[in-house]
Amino acid sequence: MSPSQTPFNLNRRSFLTGSLGAAAGAGLLAACGSPSAPSAGASVSRPPISKEPGNLSMLEWGGYEAAGTKAQTAGMTVAGKSYIDRYGANSVTYSYITDDDQALQKATLDRRFDLMHPCHENIPDYVDRGLVQEWDTSLLPSFGDLNPFLMEAGQYKGKQYMIPWDWGYGSLTYRTDHVDPADATGWELAWNPKYSGKIALWSGASTNFEIAALKLGIDPSKMDNLSDSELEQAKQVLIQQKPLNKFYWESEYNQMQPGIKSGTIWIAYSWQDTLVSMKSAKVPVAFMQPSQGRLSWFCGFMLGATTSNYYHAHEYVESFINKAACAQMTNAFAYGTSNTKVTPADITDKALAESLHLGDPHAIATTAHLQSWAPNRPKLLLAWQEIKAS
Amino acid sequence: MTTTEEAVERVAQEPARRSRVRYRPGKGVLVLPPLLLVLALLIGPLALIWLYSVGLRSNIPGTVTSFTTANWKDFLTGPGNPFRGLFIHSMLITLTVSVLATVAAYPLAYFLSFTARKHRYTLLLLLLAPFFTSYLLRVIAWQIILNDQGVANWAIQELGLQPKGHAISWLIYSNFSVSLVLFYSWIPFVALPIFAVLENMDRRLLEAAEDLGASRFTTFLRVTLPLSLPGVIAGFVFVLIPTTGEFITPLLVGGPDSQLFGNQIQAFFTNSPDWGYGSVLALSLVVVVIALMLVFGRFLSTDLRQTSGGGSR
Amino acid sequence: MNPDAGRLGRVLLRVYFIAFIVFLFSPLVVLLVFSVNSSPIATLPINGLTTKWFHQAFSNGELTSALVRSAVIGAVAAVVATALGIMASIGLSAGRMRLRTLAVSVLMLPLVVPYISLAVGLLILMQAIGVGTSLTAVVMGHAVIALPFAILVILPRLRSLDPSLGEAARDLGASEFGAFRLVTLPLLTPSLVSSFLICFTTSFDEFAIASFLAPAGSPTYPVFLYGSSRTPALLPEVIAVGTLVIALSLLIVVLAEGGRRWGERRLEGRSSAEPVVASPLVATAAAAETS
Repeated sequence: MSPSQTPFNLNRRSFLTGSLGAAAGAGLLAACGSPSAPSAGASVSRPPISKEPGNLSMLEWGGYEAAGTKAQTAGMTVAGKSYIDRYGANSVTYSYITDDDQALQKATLDRRFDLMHPCHENIPDYVDRGLVQEWDTSLLPSFGDLNPFLMEAGQYKGKQYMIPWDWGYGSLTYRTDHVDPADATGWELAWNPKYSGKIALWSGASTNFEIAALKLGIDPSKMDNLSDSELEQAKQVLIQQKPLNKFYWESEYNQMQPGIKSGTIWIAYSWQDTLVSMKSAKVPVAFMQPSQGRLSWFCGFMLGATTSNYYHAHEYVESFINKAACAQMTNAFAYGTSNTKVTPADITDKALAESLHLGDPHAIATTAHLQSWAPNRPKLLLAWQEIKAS
Repeated sequence: MTTTEEAVERVAQEPARRSRVRYRPGKGVLVLPPLLLVLALLIGPLALIWLYSVGLRSNIPGTVTSFTTANWKDFLTGPGNPFRGLFIHSMLITLTVSVLATVAAYPLAYFLSFTARKHRYTLLLLLLAPFFTSYLLRVIAWQIILNDQGVANWAIQELGLQPKGHAISWLIYSNFSVSLVLFYSWIPFVALPIFAVLENMDRRLLEAAEDLGASRFTTFLRVTLPLSLPGVIAGFVFVLIPTTGEFITPLLVGGPDSQLFGNQIQAFFTNSPDWGYGSVLALSLVVVVIALMLVFGRFLSTDLRQTSGGGSR
Repeated sequence: MNPDAGRLGRVLLRVYFIAFIVFLFSPLVVLLVFSVNSSPIATLPINGLTTKWFHQAFSNGELTSALVRSAVIGAVAAVVATALGIMASIGLSAGRMRLRTLAVSVLMLPLVVPYISLAVGLLILMQAIGVGTSLTAVVMGHAVIALPFAILVILPRLRSLDPSLGEAARDLGASEFGAFRLVTLPLLTPSLVSSFLICFTTSFDEFAIASFLAPAGSPTYPVFLYGSSRTPALLPEVIAVGTLVIALSLLIVVLAEGGRRWGERRLEGRSSAEPVVASPLVATAAAAETS
């Protein structure tokens, strides 16, 4: 992929590609990031933290619940712990994200979330719909440790709307004891009739269109900006693929991973954390490196526009972005982190980290195809509904 | 007015009586608050759905709203429209389940009304009892029974009909599972109107047929069955109407290929910002159900008149 | 004389009926069996028994608060629907013929409109008036769908009351409302209890409207059930509580029927053999199902 050929004019994307050229080589010890641009002073008068109601309502991915809450069963033991220790295990209520489109819809309908954890390609939609407000980074002691390249990417219209936290890849995870490695060379594995009924793609519409685009051989830099005819093509191949699925999974920990463990499914769209889970469950899997390239993403925290827990929200995020929390998260999920203070010494599975380039966030743009904002999202979503109805 | 009421009228017109005329038309006004509730919370939403479907309102910020029948045209006449295809698939499943449920329920009603004379009402209650329990829980129970590691597959493997470790995968997340659970859910309610009609049937007609020399089977075929037809149709309607809009069962035991029309409506409003198209589907569903009601409704009112006339027997 | 099937026919019918009862109750039995299964995975064979899921379920704050929430919503919706049902029944008994048919059609509409369409319509309405998701909206939505059941239960009973009783009260000097309160209302009690129970059940079990209108952190019990049915870790607790809910529902059915017979016997010296469920045919049919 040649980043300089991207047709986008989005500020974020061009900065990403620009900074790519300038970025130094990998190394976990990145240069200390400089503090971000000064955040806009809060001209709104807010009640002090002691006067805030304190019960956080958060739209979050399953598995990212704060350590110490009953819901956290995915192995994250540090992130959020300091917050929960202080405010109690019942101080946060989680509503779950199944995919970004559903999350955006949910956030739009229920505007009372204090915190949300969407992925970056949604930032424009969240901001333009008035769902979020910018962060006061001066309230986040660890903000200075965060990777400036990612932080810049979390800005929109010059304001820090997202605090990027986690990043990684998307590909097909497959059971090596059931899937012939000769079949597992590219995204077309999901279309292989040999494995009919043993495949589970994600319910995320945008992602599936990107997969279809890659499978069709469409220029990856256009995978989020399909022309009408390309969209139609992608729709047709997705309709062809649909009957091969056992189900479209919506929950990683409740459907996809148990499915792989029990052998109900052999091939699933997943992120690299599945590698870690399956390794500890002694299930032989591989995270495919497709010939067309993997997908990549980064996600982060966003602050509700009408939240009455302004300071609590900042404290919560701080409990996630500090070094200890980030290091443990990377060990638990093999995801990249935005905290530059995390070093190889903190990582237990160094070989895995190396193979995933976890030391260099730029890898999401250099070694894979970064999922980005799709201008024709409404068309995509309508087409997805048509696929589901076919 | 009844004679009682006339008498009251006369009495009421006498002077110096505290009581006033009873049954003044004024009491009819009490029907207004409930009517207003239904107007506000049922008709209102339907009207809004209509507005969304023709583009006069939109929930996508910044859309220009103007009257357009594009979505309607596409759904109703667009070539190969997948939502229309889904609707047809959905209706086929609905009809199949309805017919099977009606056929399966008839012997139950017959048993209750003819064979189990003495305890028929208790047995009827037994038949209906599961349906006062949570619907979702029962569907979840079926999920437990039908899934790959579930009771059904265990039994099949224990009986040797399948090798161990090879589950029959079409038992769950399939048209079969959806149809089975829907069939299961509605049988007792289909049995109810058939039972009611059989109960009200004048047994002397059956006696007469037998006196005239008809065999039991002929009596059934030529007297009982035709006379019970209104109840059968009512039962058919009891399962047809709700199942047309069903979406919960496919959510829990259905797979990608066994979703029903109601699921598509739900998907549009949970995942997609294009509520305009979703509204077309939602409104179409209402229209279809009302049409079905109008067509079959005559049989329902006949049945109600026959059975709700009073309590005791 | 009761014409019946022949000997063989009777036996076959009996077997068929029993087989069906087994079929109908088997999912409930499955839940009961797995609620005491020591393994957290719902598979056979059962290796051990335990009651720990019940303990765990009741210490699960989200589960218990969802139960309580649904119970409160159900109670409020049932009261509202029953009260409006009384009003509608009185109004319908008194009104003129033409308007009455129209009013009945409108009032019975919630029975016909598919709940998914109504749910999305209410969602749009709540968005339009700027309310968004709210539990009050859920209550009012449930009141609307329960209203026809209330009317179907109360109206026939109201019509069947002997008007001379009310007349007598008036003759003795009672006001209109007084006659209603002291004579009609007590006589209506069995149907009011019926109405409350049916409306409560309708609301408690309703999923479509609640899934769209309940705020994210405050699910009703069915919404919570649906969410946790996808969570293998929560399944044993869900089954445990589910078994209790089912047992309670069955108990209510038995009590309601028994209570009705007792009540009618006391009030009228006789009770109809028809179960409470059989007279409002459409009411009970749709009540437990179309949620």
